[in-house]
Amino acid sequence: MHNIFLIARREYLERVRTKGFMIATILIPLLMGGGIAASILIAKHTKSSSHIVIVSQDLALATDVQNQLDDDTDHNMQLNVIAPPTANTRTTLLRELKAKDIDGYLWITPATVQGQKPSIEYKQGSSADLATRNTVRDALGKVFTRERLMQQGMSSSDVKTLMAPIDMSSSNEQQDDTGANFAGAYVLFFLMYMVIMLYGMNVARSIIEEKTSRVFEVMLATVKPGEMMAGKVIGVGSVGLTQVSIWMLAAVILTATPLMAHLLGGGTHISISAEQVGFFIIYFLLGYLLYSAMAAALGAMTNSEQELQQLNMFLVMPLAACMISLPLVLNAPQNIWSRVLSLVPFFSPLLMYMRISVSPVPWYEIAASIVLMSLAIYAVLWVASRIYRVGILMYGKKPNLPEILRWLKYS
Amino acid sequence: MPTVQLNNIRKVYDTKVAVEGLTLSIEPGQMFGLLGPNGSGKTSSIRMMIGITVPDSGTVELFNKPFSRNLLERVGYLPEERGLYKKMNVLEQIVFMGQLRGLSATEAEKRGKAWAERLQITEALPKKTEELSKGMQQKIQFITTLIHEPDLIIMDEPFSGLDPVNGALLQDTLLELRNAGKAILFSTHRMDQVEKMCDAIAIIYQGKLVLEGTMREIKQEYPRNRVDVVFEGDDSFLNNPEAEEVNRYGNGVASLKLRGHQPDAQPLLAEAVARGTRITRFEVKEPTLEEIFIERVGGSTNA
Repeated sequence: MHNIFLIARREYLERVRTKGFMIATILIPLLMGGGIAASILIAKHTKSSSHIVIVSQDLALATDVQNQLDDDTDHNMQLNVIAPPTANTRTTLLRELKAKDIDGYLWITPATVQGQKPSIEYKQGSSADLATRNTVRDALGKVFTRERLMQQGMSSSDVKTLMAPIDMSSSNEQQDDTGANFAGAYVLFFLMYMVIMLYGMNVARSIIEEKTSRVFEVMLATVKPGEMMAGKVIGVGSVGLTQVSIWMLAAVILTATPLMAHLLGGGTHISISAEQVGFFIIYFLLGYLLYSAMAAALGAMTNSEQELQQLNMFLVMPLAACMISLPLVLNAPQNIWSRVLSLVPFFSPLLMYMRISVSPVPWYEIAASIVLMSLAIYAVLWVASRIYRVGILMYGKKPNLPEILRWLKYS
Repeated sequence: MPTVQLNNIRKVYDTKVAVEGLTLSIEPGQMFGLLGPNGSGKTSSIRMMIGITVPDSGTVELFNKPFSRNLLERVGYLPEERGLYKKMNVLEQIVFMGQLRGLSATEAEKRGKAWAERLQITEALPKKTEELSKGMQQKIQFITTLIHEPDLIIMDEPFSGLDPVNGALLQDTLLELRNAGKAILFSTHRMDQVEKMCDAIAIIYQGKLVLEGTMREIKQEYPRNRVDVVFEGDDSFLNNPEAEEVNRYGNGVASLKLRGHQPDAQPLLAEAVARGTRITRFEVKEPTLEEIFIERVGGSTNA
């Protein structure tokens, strides 16, 4: 035990003292914060601010459309109404469109026969401006529906009540702020993915480093291979935990400050509940143990970083599978596939954690996932320590599968 | 009570037999040389001695007990491939290794500093290992091997890569440790060093023991049939029938191997004197270890 502690401490100190660690620890929250802020700023700017001209013979209809667009707060469109148009209105509009004085026009020709839909011509300078096109289409839809309803004899107050947006609240007792909670879960999901990946690879790399510098031979004359592997996994994992703790702390501080809230325009904050943090730590530790044990075996099998690159798909593929099945789990957390996938030990840390975050999961499923993962960790560690013990003394030749299987029998 | 006792150990890697039927013992206070050409099984034997690998058959005993890992606390091992943590500070590295062998941090630091002074590398202690020269790294490794005052010191090619000054320093240190009663085993292919330092040797070739024993026993087995001569003038005395082989090095230097099991150099000297050759040096001696080695190893290849 003492040796494991010594080895873990050495690994920990060596890593924490590097410039790379400090840079990553400081830079990644900055980048993440910057990314979130940038995406919100960009979202703000995708609001349409086009200059649109509404043309119609029917002044009432045109102003109706204008009011509908004005009521919509999701854009900053500038609107003009020309009603009724003169003979050369169209040519003027086309010229202005070409000169980019206006961004588009909407030409509504009222129906000649009662009950028929009016014909609409919409032209805009940039055909790629989908935001404006969608806003205009939505407004038109609403206006025409209202018109039709009024024509059918409904009173305007009835129509107003009918057309009022539905107030949908998706809160349940536990999660009063679902949106924010979801964002938090999402951030933690990616954090877990990144850290497991990064530090799993670090374990493999540090084993290869010891192999190339031949330190392990001195070490093996003093400590058991199992102790060496355990010390390494614990030491490198503690570095990961330290980093994640710093990031989480930074995230909490950042999102809690009024400055950040102000910057982000309020309403978009990330909340992380204590329960989420608890499950995050449990699944992070289990996931890290599982993947780092696999990485240790890979590291022991190879002699160089290049060889490791060829084998690291064994680490990347299960993690990538988690990413691919993430939409399924998010959209239908109670679906049978989601439930089965989240119980597979290699997927549990990410998928079960995500399920717990987005929907209530029965306790027995959580317990089952933890038990299954623990069993898988035990099995992988058993195999890995055997590969490690033999593989670490192999130089030069890369082992093939039958050789590795023979190592497992060797004791 | 031998410090190391190997009984008929055998190790096979996949298709290659690395060590076959090796039996040897090392006593406390003995400097033991393990000799053999490259790839003859020296490192494999050493690895089995300290449990890095396990023999397929045969037994290993350390300090008169069957091998177990906790006996390794009394063993210091310097592998052939030097290994240190490159990014680690030298003193921290020494302390770390000391702690792994059961020393307290303060004790390890104290001993590390004392050793550094003795090996004249105190100025290297605060540096990072990767900043040091190869020879200095080797000295650091040497300290980490000896920090826990092991009773058995095993060194695989300890002198390779050291300059003569540092080689002599290391040699003196090893002799001191031997005189303090430690058992020391080192492997090498430098015969002159073995001849000077070792009390006992084992020669292995292709995984098999070719020759084992104390230096005195081995030398006694061989008759004093080598003659080194330095002379001036006529060299025709070298054609004396007692000489089986003659090597003329020019400049009046030659070495001979005498014929028979009870060789006699006297007729050779008499002939030289009779022919009027001036002899400045005439030494009769047993074959050098190198000659024995070549004879034994060469013989077994022919067999």
